[in-house]
Amino acid sequence: MPYDPHPNHEGFLNSVGSPIQHRFNPHTDNGGTTLAIAGKDFCLVAGDTRQSEGYSINTRYAPKVHELSNGSVLATSGMYADSVNLVLNIETRLEWYKHKHNKTMSATASAQMLMTVLYQKRFFPYYVFNILGGVDEKGEGCVFSYDPVGCYRRETYQAHGSSAALIQPFLDNQCGAKHQNIKEELLTLDQAMKITKDAFASATERDIYTGDYLEIFVIKKSGVTKHKFDLKKD
Amino acid sequence: MEILFGFVGKDYALTASDNTAARSIVVQKRGEDKSRILSKHTLLSYNGEAGDTCQFSDYIAANIKLYEIKNGVALSTAACTKFTRRELANSLRSRNAYQVNLLISGSDPKTGVPSLFWLDHLASANKVNYTAHGYASYFILSTMDLYWHENLTLEEGLGLVKKCLKELKIRFIGNLPDFFIKVVDKNGIREIKL
Amino acid sequence: MALVNLNDVLSFTGNEEDSAFDDAKSSCMNFETSLNFKLPTFSIQNLSDVSDIATAPVDFLKQQMSNENNSRIAIKKGTTTLAFVFQGGVIIAVDSRATGGAYIADGGVKKVIEINPYLLGTMAGGAADCMYWERELGRRCRLYEFREKERITVSAASKLLCNIVYGYKGMGLSMGTMVTGWDKTGPGLYYVDSDGQRLKSDLFSVGSGSTYAYGVLDSLYDYNMSVEDAIELGTRAIYHAGHRDAYSGNTVNVYHMKKTGWEFIYNKDINELHYKYAAEAKPSTLS
Repeated sequence: MPYDPHPNHEGFLNSVGSPIQHRFNPHTDNGGTTLAIAGKDFCLVAGDTRQSEGYSINTRYAPKVHELSNGSVLATSGMYADSVNLVLNIETRLEWYKHKHNKTMSATASAQMLMTVLYQKRFFPYYVFNILGGVDEKGEGCVFSYDPVGCYRRETYQAHGSSAALIQPFLDNQCGAKHQNIKEELLTLDQAMKITKDAFASATERDIYTGDYLEIFVIKKSGVTKHKFDLKKD
Repeated sequence: MEILFGFVGKDYALTASDNTAARSIVVQKRGEDKSRILSKHTLLSYNGEAGDTCQFSDYIAANIKLYEIKNGVALSTAACTKFTRRELANSLRSRNAYQVNLLISGSDPKTGVPSLFWLDHLASANKVNYTAHGYASYFILSTMDLYWHENLTLEEGLGLVKKCLKELKIRFIGNLPDFFIKVVDKNGIREIKL
Repeated sequence: MALVNLNDVLSFTGNEEDSAFDDAKSSCMNFETSLNFKLPTFSIQNLSDVSDIATAPVDFLKQQMSNENNSRIAIKKGTTTLAFVFQGGVIIAVDSRATGGAYIADGGVKKVIEINPYLLGTMAGGAADCMYWERELGRRCRLYEFREKERITVSAASKLLCNIVYGYKGMGLSMGTMVTGWDKTGPGLYYVDSDGQRLKSDLFSVGSGSTYAYGVLDSLYDYNMSVEDAIELGTRAIYHAGHRDAYSGNTVNVYHMKKTGWEFIYNKDINELHYKYAAEAKPSTLS
């Protein structure tokens, strides 16, 4: 047998003969879907509670919609750990703002702040797709949608996360009156609730990363109410 | 695909540079002058990495101007070249080196003796009689080898430019339509239309 | 002593008799966790843990944001934008589609950023990069006004942006923007990108659909055209780009830059434009 200067020990060469590369990937997608709809005097923000890693479900109840101390609601999807850090970061800033200015931050101001916070990590981003829902200075519902590095826009409805591509066209049709011969009008709270429940029930049927429970937050000038519903658990 | 070449003649130095700003497959601009005036008798022509080129030549031009204002005397062409080369060499040992290729052409304001310097992005600098940067050099160095001599009149020089551009039109895939041809002599810097 | 051994020095191990320690304590008595605010402790990562400290962050970001990586961070991309100078000022026309891979993330994006009443920026490449830095540009232009008591020129504003992004060269910023405006020298149009390239010209188009837009613009552009014709040309060029380039589409936004500042002209649906143009006669080739 000829002498092999590099015997194929485990950890030295793999079967192909190239060096094994070890690279730590700090980002992961924990799945889940979020959605928000703005109304005339309210804003609805919803998200499922399943958290997954690949094909396994970590937990059936890990809320990804967070009520913030300034009365707006932040829906996060993407990487759960980053979202926890992000919410902590935002909450700290809201707290310090309150101490500094003796007032709570408005929803629109926190929307701009969130952009800055996200862009500050432009070169090692928070892997989180955010939707911020609240009530603006005029008392009207507002929804702000973000990409992971802070590009944002005010919308009237938005879906993010693993079922975004399933739900967004449905919202385009039902909320945006797209491809219908009717004028686009803001939904009533009752309509928005029905559409949200249908959207999540349908997404659960087709998306493995969505399911278990649905949490809906309704934001009005008077305050935030939270509703919880069951989704299929298979 | 940028084209930049030049040579010295009897009493002038001449450079020819294309005037196209392109990115990927798209021409973004025609009529871009890829040169900076360093002093009344010295011209810097450049090409290379987008962004680096402008930043570097602006920096060089401003510092040489500053020297002139401070000391009341302009740097000679050779001194400009030495300064530029040193700046490029220093940048080469940094993390973001300027990727620029340069020609510095000039003429002595008193004697009228022309000179031409070739600098590449690795901070080599050479005094040359005729030269070219980039792919164009593969086509026209031989043309200049054939026709150049040290007593080229301006008319003969422009004839040589035409010969070079014709060769590039025939053989070079990236043939470019328009050029800035600049001459430096005892009277200063001027552009010549063919 | 090398940096790597500094860990012990940096973690605070003061004792009660230390006068600096007392000073720190007395200066922040109102906080419950007073010393943690005044004397935060942290440790520095051992340099040998990082394979190549110089290039690691850039490579890392490139890997995270590349199209091959399935766990990538979807940055909104794909665009057609254009702007041209003519006798009546500057026309700026853009599409409104934002894509993350093949998914249309948003069909109603505002790709013209209103920096201030007489400066506009366009958005191509990374949406957040353009949005953030052009907002920052607006702030710096305002400060310039306070300092200099006059409006900034388009040339200076674009150079400000150019110098900012040049400082980040090679780190992964992605933007191709046109800065337009009207200043004391008249209408201005500059192209600035994340390479640090800055060009002045009368006509630019940027983005994945730019070649299609150029095809229309180059054959119909005339400096002396009327304002109506110019607006129509901008719209038409974006329409053709939206029609051919899958990454562009949805709607056209048109702005007109005048001596009095910019004016928003209209927003038109590309799908509706398609049927409008289809019903019209093709322009003549004989002129």
